[in-house]
Amino acid sequence: MVQAILDAISLGGTYALAALGLGLVFGVMRLVNFAHAELITISAYILVVTNDLPLIVSFIIAAVVTALLAVAMELLIYRRLRGTGPAIMLIASFGLSVLLQRVYELIFGALPKSAAIAPWMSGEVKVAGASVTISSIATVVITVVILLIAGYLIERTSLGLQLRAAAIDFKTARLLGVRSNRLIAAAFAISGVLAAIVGFIVVVENPQVSPMYGVNITILALVGIVIGGIASLRGSALGGFMVGVILSLLNTFLGNARVYAYSWLFLLVLIILLVRPGGIMSKANEMERV
Amino acid sequence: MEKIKNISGITRFSFIELFGPILIITAASCLIGFSSASLMLTVQFALCYFVMVLALQVFVGNSGVLSFGHGAFAMLGAFVSGLLTAPVRIKNNALSMTDLLQSIADIQVNLYLSLLIAAIVGGVVAGITGVFLMRLNGLAAGIATFALLGVAYNFFFNNTKFGPGSQALPGVPKFQNLFIPLLLALVALVLVYLLNVSSIGRTLRATREDNLAAPALGINIIRVRRIAFALSGALAGLAGAMYSHVAGTVQVQDYYLGFTFLTLSMLVIGGSGSIWGALVGTLLVISVGQVLLMMEQGKAIFGLSIDLPNGARAIFIAATLVVALLWRSSGVTNGKEFAFPNFKKKSN
Repeated sequence: MVQAILDAISLGGTYALAALGLGLVFGVMRLVNFAHAELITISAYILVVTNDLPLIVSFIIAAVVTALLAVAMELLIYRRLRGTGPAIMLIASFGLSVLLQRVYELIFGALPKSAAIAPWMSGEVKVAGASVTISSIATVVITVVILLIAGYLIERTSLGLQLRAAAIDFKTARLLGVRSNRLIAAAFAISGVLAAIVGFIVVVENPQVSPMYGVNITILALVGIVIGGIASLRGSALGGFMVGVILSLLNTFLGNARVYAYSWLFLLVLIILLVRPGGIMSKANEMERV
Repeated sequence: MEKIKNISGITRFSFIELFGPILIITAASCLIGFSSASLMLTVQFALCYFVMVLALQVFVGNSGVLSFGHGAFAMLGAFVSGLLTAPVRIKNNALSMTDLLQSIADIQVNLYLSLLIAAIVGGVVAGITGVFLMRLNGLAAGIATFALLGVAYNFFFNNTKFGPGSQALPGVPKFQNLFIPLLLALVALVLVYLLNVSSIGRTLRATREDNLAAPALGINIIRVRRIAFALSGALAGLAGAMYSHVAGTVQVQDYYLGFTFLTLSMLVIGGSGSIWGALVGTLLVISVGQVLLMMEQGKAIFGLSIDLPNGARAIFIAATLVVALLWRSSGVTNGKEFAFPNFKKKSN
């Protein structure tokens, strides 16, 4: 039971981090970045490949490379597509996602690459009389810390203020002196670092890294930001968290019918969207134009 | 004088816009299809993709609302048509079909009838889900339709009573010749064109251009979107059914993310505003894939043989998509319908 609750919270936390990364980029440029999946994947690959180095060193390498890749995406592709509309940018990001998957396949091979990353994390400890895995506790701790840092960054710093302003109204934010190119690049860099952290969390649990490693979590995080309320970063993170918790609970309590967990999750998403089209954090009557 | 924005899509019936694409599809299918057996199969698959892209054009192109749910309707169409036409003997004996409901295993209908049923099922399901989904807008609609695809995939992947589950359904009869899928694609093309020039098509495009002005002019946005969603769902069902009769099998993975995004990419690359764009996009993506495949296999193209390492093909296809969007973000055709090339300078 304790393990089930911890699992739910840690999965929720992981999805919240992924959703926050997606939400940051969406906020500044209305882009649903499917290629976020490949940021998570590259981080996981680097952690596996550099497993011989001390964990902290290999994580720093992973974070730097992932952030650079994220910024490169923006500079080479998304910057040129700015203003073409969300549908086209979404399709472009999907194309980029497939492109990177194929590149990974060429570099790392189609078969999963694996390594025991931080093996001490799969040990168990006693908490409140029940034994739970260290990795689930570590995940909860990491996500809480990162969310607190992100919360501080977003609520208390100038960069965060700019990001929030841009998420609400990008045009007005620019008129008020927000430097759009710099801000968007920063949003991509932060979302890259968040993706690297998500990559670390998932690779500890499941070290079999293949080219499509990050796709599933990204899709679910995407679902999360929409039901949470895409207009606000807090809503995005909350939505991601909810999706993780619901999925984890469904997996625990559906028993043999757990193969249909995704069906129930998606049905729930449909219902939430029909009741609150703008997400849980929105007012009932807000709707996106078009 | 103030320049008026050229709204993509047709306004009134024009023979050239309709017969240009018809001529091109027929000529291309016959010329390429009869040149070799492997190309014949490629052409048949291309025709299925084209019907699917047309289905997407009707709804996504005209309304501007992104839909990932059409993959679900195609999946449904493929399962309906595949299960209805696969021989009773195979359905009762195949290892992957031991859990299949007896009533499904004992049915067998004619291929043409099954295509019609698949289209009707696709249309009805799209009509029913559309009643709810069309209340949504923008990204919420995109994600909701994606949820629909997710439910359909999850259900068919795990359920062995209504299909082969994660395995392939064997023994689905194939089209006897090129002309059946060609004819189906042409019928779909004409229907979509007529729909696009009808008041439904026009009002739908009006809601895409300005969804505040449209209702002010008396257009019921939700109603026209529901109608278009149902009709395009029927076409998607037909496309999925056709695909199963070209592949000779039904497998749930064939209609999931890859299929959905490939067809959406075709539409966007060609230009989502017109059926001409749907055709150009399909042709472009299929031919780039085919040429690269032939290079990979070391075949000579127009007497030219370029060696391509394995795996490079997939990279090139994805890169083409990205580059095409960077080059022309509103599609190669810019959303315009077919017209004879005009070499005279335009006077604006």
